[in-house]
Amino acid sequence: MSNLILNGLANGILYGGGLALLAVGMNLIFGVLNVIHLAYGQCVMVALYAVYVFAVLLHLPLLVSCVIAVGISALLALLIHVAVVNPLLKAPLINQLLALAGVMIVLENIILAVFGSDYLGIQISFPVFAIGDVYIKISSLIPFGVGIATLALLWLFLNRTYTGLAIRAIVQDRDMAELMGVQTGRVYWVTFAIGGILAGVVAACFAPIYTVHPHFGAGFTLTAFVIVVLGGLGNLLGGSIAAFLIGVISQVTGVVFTSEIGEILVYAIFIIFILFRPQGLLGARVRT
Amino acid sequence: MKRGTRLLYPAVLCGLFLFLLIAPFRLPLYGTHIFILIFIWSAVATAWSYMARFGVVSLGHGAVLGIGAYTTALLFNYYGVSPLIGMLIGGVLSVIYFAGIGYFCFRFGVIGHYFAVTTLVQVMMVYLLIIYFRDFSGGSLGLTVNSLGTNPLFFQFHSKTHFYFIALAFLLLTLYVWKKIHQSRIRRAMTAIDNDEAAAASIGIPIVKYKTMVTAISAFFTAIGGVIYAQYMMTLHPDVLSSVDASLGIAFKAILGGMYTLWGPFVGATLIIGLEEYFRVVHGATLIGWSVAAYGIVIIVLVIFFPKGLHGTLKEVLEKKRNE
Repeated sequence: MSNLILNGLANGILYGGGLALLAVGMNLIFGVLNVIHLAYGQCVMVALYAVYVFAVLLHLPLLVSCVIAVGISALLALLIHVAVVNPLLKAPLINQLLALAGVMIVLENIILAVFGSDYLGIQISFPVFAIGDVYIKISSLIPFGVGIATLALLWLFLNRTYTGLAIRAIVQDRDMAELMGVQTGRVYWVTFAIGGILAGVVAACFAPIYTVHPHFGAGFTLTAFVIVVLGGLGNLLGGSIAAFLIGVISQVTGVVFTSEIGEILVYAIFIIFILFRPQGLLGARVRT
Repeated sequence: MKRGTRLLYPAVLCGLFLFLLIAPFRLPLYGTHIFILIFIWSAVATAWSYMARFGVVSLGHGAVLGIGAYTTALLFNYYGVSPLIGMLIGGVLSVIYFAGIGYFCFRFGVIGHYFAVTTLVQVMMVYLLIIYFRDFSGGSLGLTVNSLGTNPLFFQFHSKTHFYFIALAFLLLTLYVWKKIHQSRIRRAMTAIDNDEAAAASIGIPIVKYKTMVTAISAFFTAIGGVIYAQYMMTLHPDVLSSVDASLGIAFKAILGGMYTLWGPFVGATLIIGLEEYFRVVHGATLIGWSVAAYGIVIIVLVIFFPKGLHGTLKEVLEKKRNE
């Protein structure tokens, strides 16, 4: 039993790397545009299908298909921004949410119409190695490694470039940033594109692990949102910590009980947090 | 001109009433089936709009639908409790559950789109719980209600005609409740809260009380709608009754028609169910994805350009014309 928990712990930490990536994308979009990207998981789902199309149907090398999928995901994000989010930036927040729920339905059903509802996946098996009693799959090391690397790159981008500075300025105070001459319109679409790229990278990481089907995305969106709330809205560091926490919780409970209990627990934690501690784990003040 | 319209309105109403009365006897079975679906989902969408029209948008009504329907069906299947009683138990349970969540959300200031996302998360929880207790609830394979043929005491009818009138009566009831809320104190309080919550609180309107009340009414009628649907179909499935898609489906029907007007949810439900069935019958199952995607796009366009929905926008235009 303790052995199982140890394995769950290890896998949870590895899984958390992918989740951190997922949540950071949503967190950035929330922090900069104040929009809850309800169709974020569906973007990951579309990118996973893109990996499948290029790797399995068109027989391209996996790495190439992943790069193409990241590109497609970024384009999709830009499309969503231009067609749906941008016209609604000044609208009531609930309208944005409903329109993005519409995007969610559209993406799911287009995929359903094109690919059908079967589970599809790339048939690749990676070796497993053991450290003592803990078995670790190479395929779950990939999301961890790529996740950490991408987070580092993102950190560099946010702290070392002008656009990154603009993004951080807008997260802190949108009106003031605008007054200081930050071109918010440009930063908005750059942020959305980054979100799309992150969704694509997540998809590329998860492609060897998961088989994908049209309703795959909803769980991702909610998990990402749970992490964002847990870490504190707009707080990237808290989000990363929360991602590992959620990864461990869901994997360990998944091993000890069943995966459904793990998921239910994650959602229950979310509801408790949004009620009693909406500022998140680290307690950063949330602007209203 | 004015007199003409005054006469026209009752005439159309009478004609519609007669048509609805005769329809189930004249229409083919399939036609009756469509009408029943439209009535039930319109009623549920109307119940959803009780709270949504005041800015308390829930994206989790599927959970309420599922709790009502599953409670009733499980009580009947395992303990032989008549669905007529089970329906009330299910309704009350849904109210306790959903208004409970609502109470805590309103109490702790979870409003607007945070409330919407919270309801979306709880729907996933109910969905997963139904699947987790698969030995009892049938899980993702669904649950079949034990059939007794036609037995009014156990709310089972063989013929569609019965359900046609039950569903119609239920729809009229939900519309009546809409009217009642519209005429009551609740509407004035809720409108004030919707406009400016802090201002409403400062002049002494008990925000939490009114919001919870509206949520409870909405949850109760939604749950009853779920029970009628389950008793009509005789089978329950978590994907249909308590999934994220089901919840969004309810919301979208109301938004499409217009969630601020009495007839909006009905117009929306009629259009969506009509279109879905049309595509399913004429083009087969492969086009279902495309048709749903198309209505998703219509929803996005409506939310961006006509946030008041089809019926709401139409009504506004007509009223503007009349005033000129």
